[in-house]
Amino acid sequence: MPPAAARQLGSESTPGTSAGIHAPLFEKIVTGHSEDVRRVVLDLGAASTELLALLARSPCRADIADLNFFGDVDRLNAAESLDECIEISERALPGPGAAEELDVVFAWDLFNYLSRDALRGLMRVIGKRMRPGGVVHALVVYSEKTMTVTPGRYLPLSDSALMNAKPAQELRDAPRYSPEDLLDALGGFEIHTARLLSNGMQEFLFRRPL
Amino acid sequence: MFERTKKDEAGADDFAPRKSESDKSFSASRGTASGRGQEAAVIGRSIQIYGDLRGGEDLRIEGDVTGTVELINSALTIGKEGKVKADVYAKSIAVDGETRGDLYASERVSVHLNARVQGNIVAPRVSIEEGAHFKGSIEMDAKAVEKALGKAGIEPKENQPTRASAAKTDTGGKDKVSAVASSG
Repeated sequence: MPPAAARQLGSESTPGTSAGIHAPLFEKIVTGHSEDVRRVVLDLGAASTELLALLARSPCRADIADLNFFGDVDRLNAAESLDECIEISERALPGPGAAEELDVVFAWDLFNYLSRDALRGLMRVIGKRMRPGGVVHALVVYSEKTMTVTPGRYLPLSDSALMNAKPAQELRDAPRYSPEDLLDALGGFEIHTARLLSNGMQEFLFRRPL
Repeated sequence: MFERTKKDEAGADDFAPRKSESDKSFSASRGTASGRGQEAAVIGRSIQIYGDLRGGEDLRIEGDVTGTVELINSALTIGKEGKVKADVYAKSIAVDGETRGDLYASERVSVHLNARVQGNIVAPRVSIEEGAHFKGSIEMDAKAVEKALGKAGIEPKENQPTRASAAKTDTGGKDKVSAVASSG
């Protein structure tokens, strides 16, 4: 295996180890929520027992989209217009839509795998379904020039740490979206907080303004 | 509500219909669907059913079912070869194959390794194994679960724990996180 492929970008941990990445903004979302208050959470990644266990502490509806596995990332990137991206996103996101607004969205290691139009379309649909003040928690490869061929599979190790459970894979160039790029694509959201994590990823909290 | 579990006590092969059995729509299997010693009927691989499927005994589906499945007081297993496009109502539902539709269970829904589930899950207990693929909503609000099950004509199992909890269980030497929430 070439040295570049042996390195697992965006992960300081491998399955079965207890190593993780301290993610203070994730911790804020987990610990800053009253256990008696219901919330609606959308995870754009794959279902993980660990995250569901964490969410089950309080009344909650969990929507799991798993956009990468179910082919929605490819469909979004292949779309020829913003309108088509919006249509694809409407179909790809589970849940009753506007019937109950989203409070929190997890977008871990996903944004870099979407074209700007795809990102714009997806976030427009999410923005419509989210309550004012709702947040998007994102992990984005930022300081590295490369990223893994497919998104990592992040899951919580604790209330404050995340780990990438995906085995090492080949690398490709990263688009390295800047915070300004992301803000532009995430029209209607503002950056609430951003932190550089120990693995070189940027942790963002985007908020839908009140 | 979320519990990473061991596989069913009996392996998938225990339920595999013999060639001669697969031509019968409801042939008795050699195993148990729920681990309670009760034999399960089997819908074999070559069987395709369109319409409403109702019954009062445990069932394993290895074929294709499109429509509605109602086994309110029984256990349903969707085997590795099983493809179900239906809303499903049962006491417990275990998925090893593919489903498209909402899953309602008064006791538990278990989504096993390599299963593909697209639809919403409403049950007091839900487990999704590592390596299972799921797209949909999972209701984890005990009151909402009870309400949704009631609306679907299913009475949730009584005496469930009232709080969500998470714990570690030993599964063959490898610790796995386990979480349970319920609608009690």
